[in-house]
Amino acid sequence: MAHSGNGNNSLDADREVCVEVRKLWKVFGHEPDRVLDDPELRVATKEEVLTRAGCIIALRDVSFSVHKGEFFVLMGLSGSGKSTLIRCIIRLAEPTAGSVFINGNDICALDEEGLSEVRRHTTGMVFQHFGLLPHRSVLDNVAYGLKIRGVSQEERYEKARACIEKVGLRGWEGYLPSSLSGGMQQRVGIARALAGDPEILLLDEPFSGLDPLIRRQMQDELLELQVEIQKTILFVTHDLHEALKVGDRIAIMRDGEIIQTGTPEDVVINPSDSYVRQFVQDASPTKVLTARTVMEQPPVLLYSWQGPKAALQTIRDANIDSAFVVTRKARILGQVTVEGLVALIRKRGTFLKDALDPDILTCHADSILDDLVPLVASTRYPVAVIDEDNRFLGEVYVSTIIANMIQEQGPGEDVETSEEVQDNPAVLEGPEDTEENEKTPGDGPSEGAEQA
Amino acid sequence: MMEFPEFLEIPLADLIDGIIAWILTNLGGVLDAIGDGLLGGLVAMERLLLWLPWFVIVGVVGFVAWRALRRWWSGPLMGGFLVFIGMLGYWDLAMMTLALIIAAVLISLAIGLPTGILMARNDRFASVLKPLLDAMQTMPSFVYLIPALMFFGLGKVPAVFATIIYAVPPVIRLTNVGIRGVPQSVVEAAKAFGATSRQVLVEVQLPLAFPSIMVGINQTTMMALAMVVIASMIGARGLGMEVLLAINRIEVGRGFEAGLSIVLLAIMIDRITHAFAAQQQYTKSP
Ligand SMILES: Nc1ncnc2c1ncn2[C@@H]1O[C@H](COP(=O)(O)OP(=O)(O)OP(=O)(O)O)[C@@H](O)[C@H]1O
Ligand SMILES: [Mg+2]
Repeated sequence: MAHSGNGNNSLDADREVCVEVRKLWKVFGHEPDRVLDDPELRVATKEEVLTRAGCIIALRDVSFSVHKGEFFVLMGLSGSGKSTLIRCIIRLAEPTAGSVFINGNDICALDEEGLSEVRRHTTGMVFQHFGLLPHRSVLDNVAYGLKIRGVSQEERYEKARACIEKVGLRGWEGYLPSSLSGGMQQRVGIARALAGDPEILLLDEPFSGLDPLIRRQMQDELLELQVEIQKTILFVTHDLHEALKVGDRIAIMRDGEIIQTGTPEDVVINPSDSYVRQFVQDASPTKVLTARTVMEQPPVLLYSWQGPKAALQTIRDANIDSAFVVTRKARILGQVTVEGLVALIRKRGTFLKDALDPDILTCHADSILDDLVPLVASTRYPVAVIDEDNRFLGEVYVSTIIANMIQEQGPGEDVETSEEVQDNPAVLEGPEDTEENEKTPGDGPSEGAEQA
Repeated sequence: MMEFPEFLEIPLADLIDGIIAWILTNLGGVLDAIGDGLLGGLVAMERLLLWLPWFVIVGVVGFVAWRALRRWWSGPLMGGFLVFIGMLGYWDLAMMTLALIIAAVLISLAIGLPTGILMARNDRFASVLKPLLDAMQTMPSFVYLIPALMFFGLGKVPAVFATIIYAVPPVIRLTNVGIRGVPQSVVEAAKAFGATSRQVLVEVQLPLAFPSIMVGINQTTMMALAMVVIASMIGARGLGMEVLLAINRIEVGRGFEAGLSIVLLAIMIDRITHAFAAQQQYTKSP
């Protein structure tokens, strides 16, 4: 039930910084320094700089840091500089000014040898345009990074085969990339990046050409990698839903600048300006809100040592018809209902636990509301919110969830309703796969024309 | 008044003569060394071809043609061309011509490939070299005979020298074009996985530029063949000289025989090298 991607662990400020970008500029064109030295051009718009200096500002004073094990998503319109930024991190594009640190290492200060070393052992990259070696087989392409590292043929082929299997391309090892479809080539690129088992993954729209089924599989695979072996991931995507699903933090770019960085919840609930708001307007709050944020304290909480009569009285006084029962240490035991209590009293029972219904619905505090929908659909009682130790934290009402769902539903957007439950095949089977593929308005502003 | 003013004339001819004279007096040793090297390689190649029994050479050519062209009839056909040249009585002369071509092409490649690679990797070098190559290719071929004559006198060595100068531009040009034509995304991907620039060159750029380089080699070979005929004017023995003699003596039949031999040799070489170029094409994805 617990949703792995959106853990709020990125909030821990004391975690080790893995990638740090400081005041990074990238200007394409002749004499880029001219732009940087001119205080007027530094703040001029992209078009102005292009007409006045003939240079393209791809990145303007970008700073951010990514923690170890964090899933960092970059979003923005086409041409906003996402690819350039990710390429600058390992100097595939040479930064015009500013610095990049990977694990505290100043990347811009490295010589060619040192840079190759970092690229071989620390980072792995997936390219928006694949960049497969057209004259090498799929197997050799996937094993390429290992070959550069000097791994023996036997070992690298073995690892490469495992990765090819992981991306679902078994049987295609011997083919040249040109005989594969675009989505398959993209998966070869993904396998190639995973094969080296790098500490940092730089992924430039890695899933843009994949069908929804494989896309979800790959997302889950990636989340697993990130959570289990603490990979640091920088991820570019145009798909808001994907960003919300996988990202610990999301950075939104416009014209080479980062205009907002925050958790998915932050970005959706408090967009910093109208540009960001446009970007996230179609995200449903239920996709980012966690149980912790919407839970309420119950009017009545019963303890296991209480007698049934007293319990019934408190429940009736509060004008409700059920209540949760906890131990002295606030561990949840179950709930009692008015009917249950009345029956117990009739039978002259004296222990509250005899009326206890242990079969209650619970959810983790970090669960996303979306995931609770199928739960609440099957009950008329509130859902108990608990922490890792089974301690009761609060409760979520069906009405709260529905209220949040309605809030996001603009007129004529009823497609969204079925999307709400896409992660729960048990509730809605079959057509769910096609749902995600539909271009929701959320993709609108970010649709890259070259997403072929 | 209507004539071109004399004082504007530049003594370019004198200048060139001066330069050549300077080279001859000051770099004579270097020229001798180059000449000896060329001659040594050429003579060795000629000896080898003349020493090998004719049927071995026919067999090798047939086999290579069959492998390259992938048609059952290509082997017998190309081998047959050689046999026919022999039947015309020109076997030895054809082998001498072939030796000259092979030597000139090998040296052209030894010069041209590295130069082409350098040109692809250095924009400034490319911008200097490009007009030079253009000029070299537009110049009439026999112009190269003049400096070759001055440096090396008459004989085989100036012939090879002139042939190399004439034939080297295509391989340089197409090596450069081929390497520059490798998609930037592929080069970048190789770099992203830590490939050094040398690894990028050897493992990515050269293999992908291969079809283009093979076209360059084909063109260089054909130009060498054309030049070898012209180079017979300065004393290189071979089929070209035979044609020249026939023209001088107005012996049409003999000229035709020698000319036909050259054409057959040309077709043979062109088809085989061309097929090698085309064969690799399939690896280049769109
Ligand atoms: N090699 C280059 N030479 C000149 N300008 C470039 C180059 N690469 C990128 N740019 C410019 O830099 C800006 C940012 O490009 P970038 O590719 O980073 O955009 P992006 O955010 O990745 O877009 P998309 O979503 O379409 O992939 C664009 O304005 C582009 O024109
Ligand atoms: Mg991009």
